Amino acid sequence: MTRTKPHAAIGLAVMLAATIASASLSAQWIKYPTPGIPRTADGKPNLNAPAPRQPDGKPDLSGIWITQSLYIGNLAKDLKDGPPMTPWGAELYKQRRDTLSKEDPTGWCVVGGVPRSTAVPYPFKILHTNGMVVILYEAVHSYRQIFTDGRPLPTDPNPQWFGYSIGRWEGDTFVVSSAGFNDNAWLDNNGHPGTESLKVTERFRRKDFGHMDVQVTIDDPKAYTKPWDVTMPLVLQADTEMIEYMCTENERDLKHLVGK
Amino acid sequence: MSRLMLVTLALAMSAAVSAQWLNYPTAGIPRTADGKPNLNAPVPRTPDGKPQLAGLWRPNPGLVGDVTRSFKNGEVVPFQPWADTLYKQRRATNSKDDPTANCIVGGTPRSDFVGYPFKILQVPGMVVILYEAVHAYRQVFTDGRPFPTDPQPTWFGYSVGRWDGDVFVVETTGLNDKGWIDNAGKPSTDKARITERFVRKDFGNMDIQVTIDDPKAYTKPWSVTQPLAYQPDTELLEYICNENNKYFDLVHDFGK
Repeated sequence: MTRTKPHAAIGLAVMLAATIASASLSAQWIKYPTPGIPRTADGKPNLNAPAPRQPDGKPDLSGIWITQSLYIGNLAKDLKDGPPMTPWGAELYKQRRDTLSKEDPTGWCVVGGVPRSTAVPYPFKILHTNGMVVILYEAVHSYRQIFTDGRPLPTDPNPQWFGYSIGRWEGDTFVVSSAGFNDNAWLDNNGHPGTESLKVTERFRRKDFGHMDVQVTIDDPKAYTKPWDVTMPLVLQADTEMIEYMCTENERDLKHLVGK
Repeated sequence: MSRLMLVTLALAMSAAVSAQWLNYPTAGIPRTADGKPNLNAPVPRTPDGKPQLAGLWRPNPGLVGDVTRSFKNGEVVPFQPWADTLYKQRRATNSKDDPTANCIVGGTPRSDFVGYPFKILQVPGMVVILYEAVHAYRQVFTDGRPFPTDPQPTWFGYSVGRWDGDVFVVETTGLNDKGWIDNAGKPSTDKARITERFVRKDFGNMDIQVTIDDPKAYTKPWSVTQPLAYQPDTELLEYICNENNKYFDLVHDFGK
């Protein structure tokens, strides 16, 4: 090999490193660089860049997000005295705690619904499309449609695990109203109840490129004496992709569930 | 009919419409003079001039029972010997080991063939399909990314899409060894490469030409075409397979 000048050798090393890096990047989409996002000089995603906007000027909520802070065990963990429960709700909650959440529907591979699917420590992808915001959840491989076409909530809904969601903008906050849930909703792993009377309001506010808050209000007069809310911070997950999660594949835990 | 009756009838109908999204009119679709969706209208196009694929579609009729229903005279599935044996075993046991009976998604290409609707969405960099069947979704990346070179095998695989004239061509690799192509149980392996060509013929009709190229299970590629019918003025239902699932109790009583 002929002697090379120092800067040429460095150039070669950089090229080699770039080639190796791009080969491993393309090997798995969980390491695939997200196109078109703001980056710092060293190529890392700039999570502190300003919040992006859609062509119509509204904030763009799209991206893969995950909640920071563990609300999935206890959605009401920030409430010093817990949520204000009715006697019925408190009794049901106690029974679920006493039986170690043995009846938890997600333990049977049923979807988490709203707002539980946002609280889990699994990423989810928000997409804007005509007349709708769609959320694809890695958790339990589920999805949710939030209609923004002005339709009202159904007046006689067939109860669903995800309920029915409509969304609208209030300034820069995306406000989602959901109802039409079934009577067996678990708001978290501990088993805070949700019933057919449940109405959930979620206020999504993107603070900057990498950070979004979702303020969740739980209003279920059968289980709670008054509405209560919790704010979950979300962080953008750049340069990665969701993994396929098939809950019933090789399912071996059901027969081992303890609890009276 | 008197004007009062007409107005009353219209109000009653709009109340019924808002009661359930299953009867909610789809915005912005071509309609005939009497307000019905015009399924024979021309193919709609997106601003870039390509056929629009977005909307709610339903296989019509679905081939999911047995994709060979669409075979013409003399066509046979080109099984490898082991795959033929496995297929016969699955038929003999009435498909009792069907993964979808265990609430696992149909994956690619099986989800194309089911008689449940699915919604196609087009967003920058991706086409997304939301399936009513088994509450599933699929991402088809159109941002030019290559297939992963060492994929974690999945039920839906890894899909990339591109336009070939007016045909949207989706290629999928990275499937696992466990998927079934149809209810009858034709095998699929991790060597499969599935090609789906979406051809929208008019407003109400689209075909998916599916080619299965899986040298581990089949001696050569083979194809079927699944016609789709646009579903106007309705919506996906939530289908949560594991709710009240009695499969675990009953499985030993199915088949032989």
